[in-house]
Amino acid sequence: MVKVFIYPSNSLILSDLVDRFGHEPLAMMQEIGKNIRTAGLDSPPINITPEDPKRGLKYAAVEVPAGVRGRMSLLGPLLEEAEAGIIVKEPDISFGCMGCARTNELINFLVRAKKIPLLELNYPNTEEDAKTFVYRIREFLDGLSASGTGKGDE
Amino acid sequence: MSDDDIISKMVVLHSTYTLPSDLVIKIYESKADVTVKETCFGLVIEGKRSEVNRVARELRNLDPNRIFIKERGVPPGDKYLCRAGRGGGPKPGFHHHEVEFALLPYFSEALAEIDRGEIPKIKDVARPHITIDELKDIIEKEVKKSE
Amino acid sequence: MGKENLVKIAQLSCGSVYSGIQQEIEMAAGMVDAEIIYPEITIDDVKVVQEEFGLQVASPDLRLMMARAKALVDGKVRADAVLIATCFRCAEGALVRNEIRRYIHENSKLPVISYSFTERTTAATLLTRLEALTTTARRRSLLAREHQEGLTAGIDSGSTTTKAVIMKDDKVVGTGWVPTVKVMESATEALDNAMKEAGITRDDIQALGVTGYGRFLIGEEFKASLIQEEITVNSKGAVYLAGFQKGQATVIDIGGMDNKAISVQDGIPGMFTMGGICAGASGRFLEMTAKRLGVDITELGALAVKGMRENVEMNSYCIVFGIQSLVNSLAKGSSADDVAAAACFSVVEQVFMQQLQEVEVKEPLIMVGGSALIAGVPRAMEKLLQIKVTVPPYAQYIGAVGAALLASGFINK
Repeated sequence: MVKVFIYPSNSLILSDLVDRFGHEPLAMMQEIGKNIRTAGLDSPPINITPEDPKRGLKYAAVEVPAGVRGRMSLLGPLLEEAEAGIIVKEPDISFGCMGCARTNELINFLVRAKKIPLLELNYPNTEEDAKTFVYRIREFLDGLSASGTGKGDE
Repeated sequence: MSDDDIISKMVVLHSTYTLPSDLVIKIYESKADVTVKETCFGLVIEGKRSEVNRVARELRNLDPNRIFIKERGVPPGDKYLCRAGRGGGPKPGFHHHEVEFALLPYFSEALAEIDRGEIPKIKDVARPHITIDELKDIIEKEVKKSE
Repeated sequence: MGKENLVKIAQLSCGSVYSGIQQEIEMAAGMVDAEIIYPEITIDDVKVVQEEFGLQVASPDLRLMMARAKALVDGKVRADAVLIATCFRCAEGALVRNEIRRYIHENSKLPVISYSFTERTTAATLLTRLEALTTTARRRSLLAREHQEGLTAGIDSGSTTTKAVIMKDDKVVGTGWVPTVKVMESATEALDNAMKEAGITRDDIQALGVTGYGRFLIGEEFKASLIQEEITVNSKGAVYLAGFQKGQATVIDIGGMDNKAISVQDGIPGMFTMGGICAGASGRFLEMTAKRLGVDITELGALAVKGMRENVEMNSYCIVFGIQSLVNSLAKGSSADDVAAAACFSVVEQVFMQQLQEVEVKEPLIMVGGSALIAGVPRAMEKLLQIKVTVPPYAQYIGAVGAALLASGFINK
């Protein structure tokens, strides 16, 4: 089983497909879940405190907006764990966790820079696209299983 | 990450064959120690990671190509992110979910075809821009037409 | 503060949750008896809003903000006021923030404020702004007051100085002005001085209004009828003293530590900005300049009017580096006049760059606060904006006058 970073990180479809085809999706929801259930923290709605953007300094300098750094403090640890990645280019509409274009640019770059097996796909708009989309994802994920962990490039 | 961590998963149903209530019955039958909340998209289940994962697998097997599952950060009925506590609009992820929900029938169909062993014609390639010469030709032709 | 009618503030924002400050916003709202709401919209609204708005941006959350703004303007969602907030240093966010603010201001009667936050933003920073916002939403009738009646007092407990006035039937009959040392003691001293000049005692005062940083402390101690932030009070005081109570006006208040730029309609604040990046754009900077030149702060203005700021090289946002530039110029042989002029211009330029960009400058432009009395400051503003600047009488007492004026609405209550 390979840990696969997905983008958009809150996608139902990507998360489902990775799990369905036998791997572990690394998604933002897991980090938020941990945050929300951490006893003692009290910074609703999702327990991100002003300390988190400071932790985000590991990924982006202080002149980068606090919202980007706060998001990076959630996504960064997932990126570090990632053994493979799937990026959907120009996803139609994502809000909240994936609502900031600057953060998204940085995440995409960091995934690519990691030199792990990576699949980049266009956003599907038609039934035909969706078939190709699912097929390519399955092919990619099967390939990961065959090669053990994430070695070699797509 | 421990099997005892409490997590939530959302089970999204896009089916005319299976109803959220069928899923709920299945969960009761399995005697799993999880909390279940029915939503407009299906269910949210919460409990220990190991239990939630087990239940999720069982549920998906009921109608594999029409049930989609992902982990959810927010517990069911969270007072800060529930619409009722926000004086109107839903939590931001809801709209993202709406967009994906509309695409689910395509994905159900795609999964079914792959099950049948069909291979789609891969045509997921970006169309290149036309060259400046091609553009020039087009302009010249259009100008001629209008003359 | 007593319990007031609940005000619904619609929050249009991007990044506040991820900056870890959403709770600070909610806390500040709670302190002014307001509730934060998120306007309901549909996904289709978001899809078309960029076309309708004419502004295309990459961040989906900013599109969500535009769709929510439109829902408010179209009356699909009911709110009493609007808070627009995006991350500090986000260019895309700043564009959307300003355009949405203008859009709501032009197309609805909703009071609106905007703010760019960092992870250091606290409820205390937001409090004054939300207090002004909710007051505008909730107290239109109080703000409609155009005359001061009876015998009332106002105290403005500022960061640098404490001012007090006694007013009787639309006239200022006593003033007090002391540096702020200890909030309560300074307020007592300023009020005592004003009462002495007016020849009255504490019992004669029919109603007291307080404003400024120390308002909560002195308001409670003196049992004030009105405890109000300085945006509302200064807007009211400025148009009252300058005689522009009806119609549009712009108020600029360069304070001891921060500045306010307020666009006013019929005496009620509309768009406003508070603060600045550094105290380099404040009265404090002028005070330090005067000290370095070896003149009294009251003489600085006259020097500045004689000087030519172009003769001095000055390029800084910071009070430390700003003073350094001036010291360097003096060492190179610049005259005190020129240095004074450069200091005044620098303060005005920074107010222009940091604050007036977000507030539409509509004439008449009224300048208030102690800095307005330094003649070089309004002069520099006139040159920069190419419009006439009005400095009303008692400009340095603006907060105290506004408080005394509004307090007269509480007589016999």
